Amino acid sequence: MKQFVEGAFSIENLTLFYGNKLALNDINIDIHNKQVTALIGPSGCGKSTFLRTLNRMNDLIPNCKVDGSIYYGEENIYSQESDVIDLRRRIGMVFQKPNPFPMSIYENVAYGLKCQGIKDKNILQAAVKKALVDAALYEEVKDRLKESALSLSGGQQQRLCIARAIAMSPDVILMDEPTSALDPIATAKIEELITELKKDYTIIIVTHNMQQALRISDYTAFFLMGEIIEYGKTSELFSHPKNPKTEDYITGRFG
Amino acid sequence: MSKNKKRKASDFVLNSITYLSSTVSLITLLGILIFIFGQGFKLLNVDLLVENFESQGYVADLYDNVRLCNCEPTIEFDENTYYSPKWGVALSDTTDLLGRTVVKVEFVDKDSPLYKVRDKGIGNDPIELRDEYHIIRIAFDEYPTALSRYGSENMINYLEANDSLREIEFQTEGGGIRGSIITTLYLIVLTLAFALPIGIAAAIYLNEYAPANKVTKLMRSLIETLTGVPSIIYGLMGLAVFVPLTVKLTSATGGNLLSGAMTLAVILLPIIIRTTEESLKVIPDDYRQASLALGASKTQTTFQIVLPSAVPGIMTATLLAIGRIIGESAALVFAIGTAIKDEVSLTGKSTSLAVHIWAMMTDEPANIELSATIAIIIMFIVVILNILIKIISGRYMKRKMGVSS
Repeated sequence: MKQFVEGAFSIENLTLFYGNKLALNDINIDIHNKQVTALIGPSGCGKSTFLRTLNRMNDLIPNCKVDGSIYYGEENIYSQESDVIDLRRRIGMVFQKPNPFPMSIYENVAYGLKCQGIKDKNILQAAVKKALVDAALYEEVKDRLKESALSLSGGQQQRLCIARAIAMSPDVILMDEPTSALDPIATAKIEELITELKKDYTIIIVTHNMQQALRISDYTAFFLMGEIIEYGKTSELFSHPKNPKTEDYITGRFG
Repeated sequence: MSKNKKRKASDFVLNSITYLSSTVSLITLLGILIFIFGQGFKLLNVDLLVENFESQGYVADLYDNVRLCNCEPTIEFDENTYYSPKWGVALSDTTDLLGRTVVKVEFVDKDSPLYKVRDKGIGNDPIELRDEYHIIRIAFDEYPTALSRYGSENMINYLEANDSLREIEFQTEGGGIRGSIITTLYLIVLTLAFALPIGIAAAIYLNEYAPANKVTKLMRSLIETLTGVPSIIYGLMGLAVFVPLTVKLTSATGGNLLSGAMTLAVILLPIIIRTTEESLKVIPDDYRQASLALGASKTQTTFQIVLPSAVPGIMTATLLAIGRIIGESAALVFAIGTAIKDEVSLTGKSTSLAVHIWAMMTDEPANIELSATIAIIIMFIVVILNILIKIISGRYMKRKMGVSS
């Protein structure tokens, strides 16, 4: 009997087609609770696609067909009964390009909560403040919460997007190359934040940066051509890769 | 070397074409402005804007026991005003709002026999001959009739030569465009009230919800085709559908403001749908994904993220729509009618400024000057509304987005 843990994923025989194109082929992995899992691999290997199956963002793409099952806790998120809106509330997502809404900083963080029907101003204010503090952004923006989020720098915008996700108090945060559009200093801040956040959240991060995966993740999955070639503890995968393809990739021989 | 020269030559030709074309279009537009202002500026005054179009005509004669006045004028007149001491009235030649020469009453003495005259029409109340009235003719018992077309000096001379008169015909000043201005404003508000919600909702459906299939494609190309249909066809449709509909549902008896606004709304729908859809299209998909990933429903995403971001585009659509409403005349000729009215009601006949111009130009003779004046007023209204909408949308963006645009 399999043990179900809230905040952990168990993926069984996951196959995904875009039209006739096979994007993910028979994925079987368990993602651990309150750990950082990095997904690495060359472009087009299916790692972002895989990430997006976890909160069913692939539903938005026409002709996308998913087989197999993804257990989140004890719930199969691709079953008929699963409520995708509630699922996405519990599984936050941060995108590659910082994409704050064209609203004030405050409204950006409060938006998700408002959509849940929370109207009490005091609750909203407290939640917004907590989320901004947790995303290590509060000190920088506390005097200009009413200003447009678009006036922030790229790194600040990305931390705002993380704050926006945290505000929903999810169990999991999915990150799709969150630092690829940022400069090294902003990247360092986000990485620091991720290490801080993993105490409270399960984090799954797609990255092109091998050093980043090594620095921040506990587990790493190496994707190639829609398949998982190797999955294991980051330290082991980087120091003693079992598969020669993994070794080729992490040593920079291709990809 | 020669290659370089060739390139220079072709660059010169292409550049010249762009400069020339922009100069030509600029001159053309300036020419239109100069024409309109040159023709219409002299008739432009406040009276035109606030006066009734229809003038009230009176035919009256003297009461039996009145005596002649023989009084000196109590005020000074300029040299173009002629005074009759015998009758105590002063008349002058002037042009009315429509630009016609008329004889205008400048002054009536309180002791004048003409101060209060007997209405020969319906009603027995005495009429006061007020200044501002225009005298059409004065008929005497044994003397030729004094007509306004011979001028005020002639009329005063005739009055001085007679001790009594048989009848006097005069009218209030008419020709104002107040009714048409009000109708135009009504039309703008009503048409936008009909067209904006439907058009925006349709655009949202097409861009956010409609599946990418043949039916949607067909719908889009149909809407595009409708943009090119001549407005007079819509006018016919208004006459065939909306006029009977409003006649059935309201107290209207023929073409009316409501049927006109509905017809205009149909004309505007394709424009509003197209413009709104364009502005929805350019909203980055990132916003939608970010919102959905936060656990917002599709509807919440559409109405709280996508639609507010499209407000500037929707404002542009509104501006285009207002321009179209003010400028439309062919369709309205059928859907409202061409009756110029001072009393504007939703279910009554009345007409917009553009149709007012049409009516003035089909008059005999065509009144180009007044038409140009109305054109100035139309342009003025458009400019004012443009500025207003810019301010409103700027305020909105600042409040909602925290961005000053």
